[in-house]
Amino acid sequence: MTPPWGRHAALSVRLLAAHRLRTLLSVSGLVIGVATVMVMVAVGQGAERRLLAQVRALGTDLVVVRPAPAPRVAGRAGPARTLTTLRPADVEAIREESALARAAAGEVHRSLVVRWEGRNTTTAVTGTTAGGLQLRNLAVARGRLFDDDEDRQRRRVAVLGPGVVRALFGSADPVGLELRVGAIPFEVIGVLRPRGVDPGGADLDHVVMIPLETAMRRVVNVPWLDALVVQARGAAHLDALEREVLEILARRHPARAGAPSPFLVQNQAVILRTERGTARAMRGLVAGVSVLSLLVGGIGIVALTLLSVRERAREIGLRRAVGARRTDIQFQFLLESTLLGALGGALGVVTGVAVAGLAAWIGPWDLALSAPATAAGLGGALLLGLVVGLIPAARAARLDPAASLRAR
Amino acid sequence: MIALDGISKSYPRGTESVAVLRDLSLVLEPGRFTAIMGPSGSGKSTLLNLLGFLDSPDAGRYLFQGDDLSRADDDTLSAVRNRKIGFVFQQFHLLPRLSARTNVMLPLLYAEEEIADGEARADRALAVVGLGHRAAHTPEELSGGEQQRVAIARALILDPALILADEPTGNLDAANADEVLQLLRGIADQGRTVVMVTHDPAVAARADRVVVLDAGRIVSDSSPPVSPAGR
Repeated sequence: MTPPWGRHAALSVRLLAAHRLRTLLSVSGLVIGVATVMVMVAVGQGAERRLLAQVRALGTDLVVVRPAPAPRVAGRAGPARTLTTLRPADVEAIREESALARAAAGEVHRSLVVRWEGRNTTTAVTGTTAGGLQLRNLAVARGRLFDDDEDRQRRRVAVLGPGVVRALFGSADPVGLELRVGAIPFEVIGVLRPRGVDPGGADLDHVVMIPLETAMRRVVNVPWLDALVVQARGAAHLDALEREVLEILARRHPARAGAPSPFLVQNQAVILRTERGTARAMRGLVAGVSVLSLLVGGIGIVALTLLSVRERAREIGLRRAVGARRTDIQFQFLLESTLLGALGGALGVVTGVAVAGLAAWIGPWDLALSAPATAAGLGGALLLGLVVGLIPAARAARLDPAASLRAR
Repeated sequence: MIALDGISKSYPRGTESVAVLRDLSLVLEPGRFTAIMGPSGSGKSTLLNLLGFLDSPDAGRYLFQGDDLSRADDDTLSAVRNRKIGFVFQQFHLLPRLSARTNVMLPLLYAEEEIADGEARADRALAVVGLGHRAAHTPEELSGGEQQRVAIARALILDPALILADEPTGNLDAANADEVLQLLRGIADQGRTVVMVTHDPAVAARADRVVVLDAGRIVSDSSPPVSPAGR
């Protein structure tokens, strides 16, 4: 016969309510545990979100195509020739033909000396389109980026990385000033937000961005591109996009049979690995601390429930005397510890939300409370209550009724 | 009819085992109020525990309303305790902080069938012991005598055949003790078997029959039944 749930639960709830202090002491560990899980998950997800945003700013969904360097023959370097395979028309072709590409942009790269008044520095100058700036997730801290019109009109405008600004202008605001890229004067229209270094260690702030057309016609004077940047519709499509882009380029630039492909394709695998690793490490940390916190809470319930089995020996004896079977006693203690687990979980969620809210209010923390974490905390607490109730329940059921009734 | 036939019980004490009851036979009749007396260690508490199926004998038979239950399993014995036996203890054993009504209803929790009119039953049982107006009070708000009467109401709620009282007046003053003894007397008069353990001759004198134990044997029986069972 299964015990009548309703009647048992009603009495258990009354007992737990009648012994408020004992009940609260039993669940206090679990409350702290669940609240810790809530806050940890919130802090962890907030931090993960911010970290991922930073990592994504480097571009995790890009495929970069470069012309392959001239092959070496028999160990000797081939004739030093300029790589002329990539053309702006290739960018157009990919934009039109690729299903997986969201956007594409051509780039030219040069290492050039830039000057302002008496100072100069050698820096990476990139010619790109307004769309290309977006692909690279570039944003300005001051001033503005250039647009398509300025690109088409080959305007001499430049957006500087903060590293270049420091080297040439110190702490002065360069927007509106004129500097020279090589020998050509450019107006500074914006300063990029600092980005630090990429996973390979290259300084992402020591750069100058200028319109692609301006760069090709006025600075480097060549009709070919140094790189073609293609953005995937999602990071998951990177490999497929890479194949698609290579196919389109191979059609447009047929290679002699047996010759190596004239293109080098790189995607952001390193950055992606960093991203995934970061997320994994963060989740591992949160999961570890969560499990520990819940365990500590569970131990609290075990300790107090075991103590209460001794303290409540006479009650157990009495229940046996009025007809409780061993299984009824076991059921009662399991029910109570499960109720304690549920109560601890609920109070823990409330405490966790309050603490996270308070922290978000007073501090600079980026907290992300999540419904799955809340559900997991509640469910975990309930399950924990059930599981840790097994030991005290078994012990209570084994008590000898006659001896229990004599207990003091 | 309730009959013990050749019951023996011993408990381990250190390395040896101490016999508490030796080959004891006893017949208890409905409608009689029996007192069991004897010095400490004479086995009277053990006898009461065996009668209430809180413990089982090492040897001998226990016939309860015609069934030999001396080897029955825990579930069967729990059901018998629930439906056929009511316990009254020296310490009252009420659940603290719960109302008298809730305490009286405790046996219903373990009844095999759902009892719909539980509260009404509890209130009737409380009325029988004269506490109909105290149903909502917790044990902490009741006097010792009132607590013991709540315990008696709890023992009566499922209309048992056998009431076992272990020193029911041990913690009460004379006036309250008298009230409790009158209640037990009345319960026996309704046709139930009432067995009470006491060490107080004045209390025992209120019973119909006094059985005296010493060293695990019956040494005197004031009015044994006319036709003893067994041997």
